Parts: sequence; C-alpha cells; structure tokens
Amino acid sequence: MAKEMIAMLLAGGQGSRLYALTEKLAKPAVPFGGKYRIIDFPLSNCVNSGIDTVGILTQYQPLELNEYIGNGQPWDLDRLYGGVHVLPPYQKAHGSDWYKGTANAIYQNISFIERYDPKYVIILSGDQICKQDYSDFLEFHKEKNAEFSVAVMEVPWEEAPRFGLMVADENDKITEFQEKPKNPKSNLASMGIYIFNWDILKKYLEEDEADPNSENDFGNNIIPNLLRDERQMYAYHFNGYWKDVGTISSLWEANMEVLDPEHSGINLFDEDWKIYSRNAGMTGHKINEGAVVENALITDGCRIRGTVKHSVLFGGVKVEAGAVVEDAVIMGGTTVKTGAVVKHCIVAENVTICENAVVGAMPDGNENGVATIGSGVIIGENVVVGPNAMVRNNVEGGEVE
Amino acid sequence: MIKSSTNVIGIIFPNSYDALVPELVSVRLMASIPFASRYRIIDFILSSMTHSGIDNISVVVNKNYHSLMDHLGSGREWDLVRKNGGLHIFPPFAEKEVGGPYVGRAGALANLLDFLKSQKEKYVVMSDTNVVVNFDFNSMIQAHMDSGADITIAYNEQELPEELLNYQTSDKIFYYTFDVEQGRIRKVYINPKTVGVQNTSMNIFVIERELLIELVSTAYMQGRSFFMRDVIMPQLSKLNVQAYKYTGYVARISGMKSYFEENMKLLDDYNLDALFSDAPIYTKIRGDNPTHYKDGAKVQNVMMADGCVIEGEVENSVIFRGVKVGKGAKIKNCILMQDTVVEAGANVEYLITDKNVTITAGKEMKGTDTFPVYIEKFKTV
Repeated sequence: MAKEMIAMLLAGGQGSRLYALTEKLAKPAVPFGGKYRIIDFPLSNCVNSGIDTVGILTQYQPLELNEYIGNGQPWDLDRLYGGVHVLPPYQKAHGSDWYKGTANAIYQNISFIERYDPKYVIILSGDQICKQDYSDFLEFHKEKNAEFSVAVMEVPWEEAPRFGLMVADENDKITEFQEKPKNPKSNLASMGIYIFNWDILKKYLEEDEADPNSENDFGNNIIPNLLRDERQMYAYHFNGYWKDVGTISSLWEANMEVLDPEHSGINLFDEDWKIYSRNAGMTGHKINEGAVVENALITDGCRIRGTVKHSVLFGGVKVEAGAVVEDAVIMGGTTVKTGAVVKHCIVAENVTICENAVVGAMPDGNENGVATIGSGVIIGENVVVGPNAMVRNNVEGGEVE
Repeated sequence: MIKSSTNVIGIIFPNSYDALVPELVSVRLMASIPFASRYRIIDFILSSMTHSGIDNISVVVNKNYHSLMDHLGSGREWDLVRKNGGLHIFPPFAEKEVGGPYVGRAGALANLLDFLKSQKEKYVVMSDTNVVVNFDFNSMIQAHMDSGADITIAYNEQELPEELLNYQTSDKIFYYTFDVEQGRIRKVYINPKTVGVQNTSMNIFVIERELLIELVSTAYMQGRSFFMRDVIMPQLSKLNVQAYKYTGYVARISGMKSYFEENMKLLDDYNLDALFSDAPIYTKIRGDNPTHYKDGAKVQNVMMADGCVIEGEVENSVIFRGVKVGKGAKIKNCILMQDTVVEAGANVEYLITDKNVTITAGKEMKGTDTFPVYIEKFKTV
C-alpha cells in the first residue's frame, strides 16, 4: 500500500549555538513554550496536515529525544502501518557511517522510505517554531507539476544576506539559489522545508553519494545539482509565523512572543491547529497567597508564591515567596528560592537558584544579553550571574560574567 | 511472581453513591465527576491500582456511563492496554429472570461470575469511587495475607459527613461503620447517625477470588443484592473479616457540600501534597496549552489546570481545564469545571459551574459557603 507523502525530519544537528542547553540534549528536544519541545511543532504539523509516516533522523545526543518520541502516541503517530520511526545511523554489511550531511542522512534511509513507496517526500527540520499546513504546500507542488519545491519566507532585504535565498520568476519557478550572498538578488529565504518527487530525490541522492567531493548537503549539493539540470523547481510562499530557534537569543525571543499572540503571530491557543506534546502527568498548578502573576504562561505542577512577570514557566517550577521572576524562560523542575531574582534569561531543567541569588539582568543600554543556566546546575546563595553568562556547572559563590 | 499484586484483579463500582450528588450525576456517574482541577474521581483509584501493579481491572458500570467510557477509552493513560488483563468495562445486561439492570454490589458481581471464574489471579480487590485516595493496595493485600483473613475491608477514622447524617435513609444508599476488635470487624453499623470520629468503611475489599465466587453465587441464588449488608454482616462470626486501617489522606464525596469542601481543601499545600505525593495520578490527556495569565489578571490562592486564559481576578478557587475568565471579572470561592467561560465584568462567589457553562458579561451571582450555587452543564447564565 503506497503512501502519497511521508516526512523525513532532520533532527541530528548538535545545535551548538544553544551552548549549555544542548550539552546533553539534541536541539529538537529543547523545551519550548511552557509544555512543548521544539520537535512537537513539525510533528504536530505533520499530523494536522494528514501525514501519518515520519522518519526522525537522529545522531547527536539522541537519548532524551528517543525517550520523548517513544511510540509517537502523543502525536497520534502510533500506527499499524507508518507512524513515527526514530532513525539513527546504523551498521551495514559493508561498513558503517555517521550521517555525513543532511542529504547523506536521507540517503542512508532510502530503504526505509521505499517501504512506503511514497510519491512525494517532505524534508523537515527539527529546529523551527512554525505552524504550517504541509497539505497546502503539497497542493502547490502538484499544481506546479514540480519535481522539487521549497518553502520560502520573505525577509527584509537588509537581512537577506544571512539566508539561503531562492531567486524565482513570476510563476514562482526557481532560477537561481544563493547561499548567504553578499549581494542578494532575492529576499525569499529558504525555510529548509522541501517537497521532492521521490523518484527525483532518490536519483539525486544516489548521484550525490557517488560524488566523492560532495558535502552531502541539501543546500550545498542537491539543490545546485537540481538547478544545473534545470529541474522543475518552485518556491512556495509561506507567510505565517516562522522562527529558527537556533540561538539563545532567538529561543528566548520566541518564548516571549508566545506571551503576545495578538502581535507576534504565534498562537498556541489555536483549537484548529493544536500542538501536541507528551504529558508529564502533574497536578494542576497552584498560585498561593501573596503571589503576583502578570502576563505569564504557567503549567501543571508549578507552585507560585513569589512574583512572576512576563515569563514562561514549564512543568513543576517552584517560585518561593519573595522571589522575583521577570522576562525569563524557566524550564521544568527548576526551583527559585526565597529572595532570588531571575531576569531576562533562560534557566534549563532541574536548576536550583538558591536564596538571594541574582541571575541575569534587564537590558541596560547596549547590554541586552540573555543569561543561560544549564540543566541541573545549582546557583548558590547570593551568587550574581551576569546578563551574558553561560553557566554549565554549579556556582557556589561570587559573580559569574 | 515478583509482586503479590500481580496475582490480583481489581474491580471498580463507579455508580455507587450516585444518589448523594444528584446534580453532578445528572449527565455522568460518581466515577467521572471532575475533581482537583484536572482529574475525574476514578483516576485516583485506577492510578492507585496501576501503581500497585494491578493490571487486570474491571469497571462494572450500571447507568449514565457514557462520560466514563469517553474518559477511560482504551485505558492507555493508566497503562492498562494489555494483551492479558488490562481494562474491561462491563455494561449491565438485563438479568434473564428479573429484567432491568442489577441492584447492589452482589448483583453487579453476579453479572461477572463467568468472568471471575475464567480469571487466574488468586485475589480480588474491589473499590467504589466516592472516596478520593492515593491508595497503596500492596500494603493492604500484604496485611490481608499476613492476617489470614477471609475478607479485609479498609476504613479510616473520621467523622461522618453531615450529608450522610442528614440523609433520609432509603433502601438504596448504605454507608457503614465498624466495631473493630484486635483488627477483626465484630460489628457493622448500617447508616448510623452517630456523631464523632468513628471507623468509617471505605468500601475497599480484599478477598480471594474463589471465596468471592462462592459468596456471590450463594447470594445470587438467594436473591440478595448488597454485599456488605446481605453477605458479610450475617457471617461476621463465621468469616474472618479483618479491618485495614488507612491513615493516608481521604476525601470523601457525600454530597454537594463535601464535594465543594474537599476541592477547596486542596488549596492548602499540606493537603495537596498528602494526596499527591506518593505517586502520580493519571488522567485523560486533553493536550491543552499552558495557562496564560494576561495583563490585568490577579490571582490568589488558586489551583488551576492547563488551557485557561485569565484576564480577571480569581481568589480561593479550583479551576479546571480550558476555563476563560474575562477582563474585570471577579471569581471568589468557586469551582469552575472544564471550559467554563466567565465573561468580562461578571462577579461570582461560591459557585460550582459544570462543564461548558457561560456566565455572561456583568452578571452577579453569589451562593454561600454552606450552600454553593450549582449551574448545570452547557447552561448560559
């Protein structure tokens, strides 16, 4: 039985620009928005778009990600035929290889894809916060009789040089691809989401693998080769919310934008496009007497006795009396003790911030760094953690810049 | 067998004591009454059984059980999807001789005789759902085995809720207290009106399966319906009926007032931790987003689930999933069940709203602590 389209989700990146947050965690497993992880977005998009078969390509620190995905049940991806499959690199009869590049990761799983005999394959990336209907994208791909389509976003011209850009004609047909060019000819940035006709993708993956000089990368090799051969390539315009959360500041910003759905465009309260996640099974949260809570996302298991303003709190966070949390992202199981002040920062899971410690600071002049505390860290009493600090280990006393 | 309890099947009676809360069970049964901001009462006993390693559980429903079927689904959330055992729901089937659904616990069990005979486990634990507990069945089963009892029944020491004392005795609702001598139940009182702390039955039983089959078959032939009254009480001297004293946290739902109070009690962290600290309680997952407190929200002493959007003031209240509170609305001493909407400027106190109730803008409604106002499902006020 053939599937019309299956998804391959690239989740193997290290996410090195998230530093302490991805030390023991693959980027797609990084928590987001109070009760989600980044990978919940592409997975929920798949299910909401009617895609029931997803291969997740993992490589870097996959343990927590694998456990989180499990049998895929929270996303309704526990299926008899299809469903979600975690695909790490594996040993073969003739040698074994890590995934050498994005294209090589898919190449190594050609046999997985062929089990479903799909007409189309959509390539997704596991580091974006985005609500997108992939069935609209496929509709576009079919209408254009395309062999390859890429989702693109219009970005401001001055930012264009930071992106991979698609130059397209008035029919959205792609004529040129520029990877982070100095002189952009287009402001259509590739979102790294592609739809391929499977026969075309397979052909180019095999050719690419045979080329010893290739980096085995979609952007650097596959797309240029498609262009060279004048394939039917089209750019699909997406104009919803899209954020690459590959850096500390963009991750912090995206969390803050969840607090302002009216203006930012990311609405997690959308009944028609739910984002699903694995539930931790905690009791309802408590706001105790004396607490002050203003514009905050708070979820199961939290106990709030202190002040929480403009912040996103994950499951089981405790804010003790007299503690202040402002403009902060505080991940699951963290405790902020009495008198501690936590501002403008990201605090990872199971951190303890002891009495009267100060973590981060509100922006002041050109100082607007987002302090980051890695998971499981203990910040001692009276410790001061500066606005640009990246804390990976316990701090017993003094100041950390 | 690694654990004793893997040799145990569980039986739950979700309809018992329905008549005590007629408002709340008009569209459901005792077991599916929402409790503690994100649970249904049955979640507690089901999760307790799961945590005790019991994975062959039968829920014997009598009436109004659609909401419970919807809640339980396949039993996945309680880890009860199993090849052997797992979750069974037994709807009533009209008895050949009598017609109409069964009456009483023995009647319900008589419906199950063939099932009971075909099982392999040695022990059976049985429970109602009007008592909210995070119960360790393993210790009770261990106590049962150690004492060599025929039947062990759990009780706690508490005063009888006012509603039970005031309840006009009918032939349908029975509650029991015990005289306990050196662990053995010597006397059972039916619907006593005694005030003060006493040994109040939690109606949680441990019994060997073979003995249960024998007792129920006999009762069925004699046309007896009530297990405690008709089966146990007449045989107290013949059977070794042991009492198991439970000292953990107990919330007993005996009417609207105690439903209100038992929810409110959980606003005290001490009680909340006592009920939840031993093991997590599982429930059906709705996939709600986190609760959003917007600018203008003022919240004090509140227990709240996910999926809420709060723009007004909430104080001393228990708020279930997906509740919306509009700008300037004031909520005090209320229980708002799933998806209640309180529009801007409304002002409510001592209110229990059932699911999907809407309180329109500017409306004022006040009950009292002894008589909270109840608003039925889907109603717009």
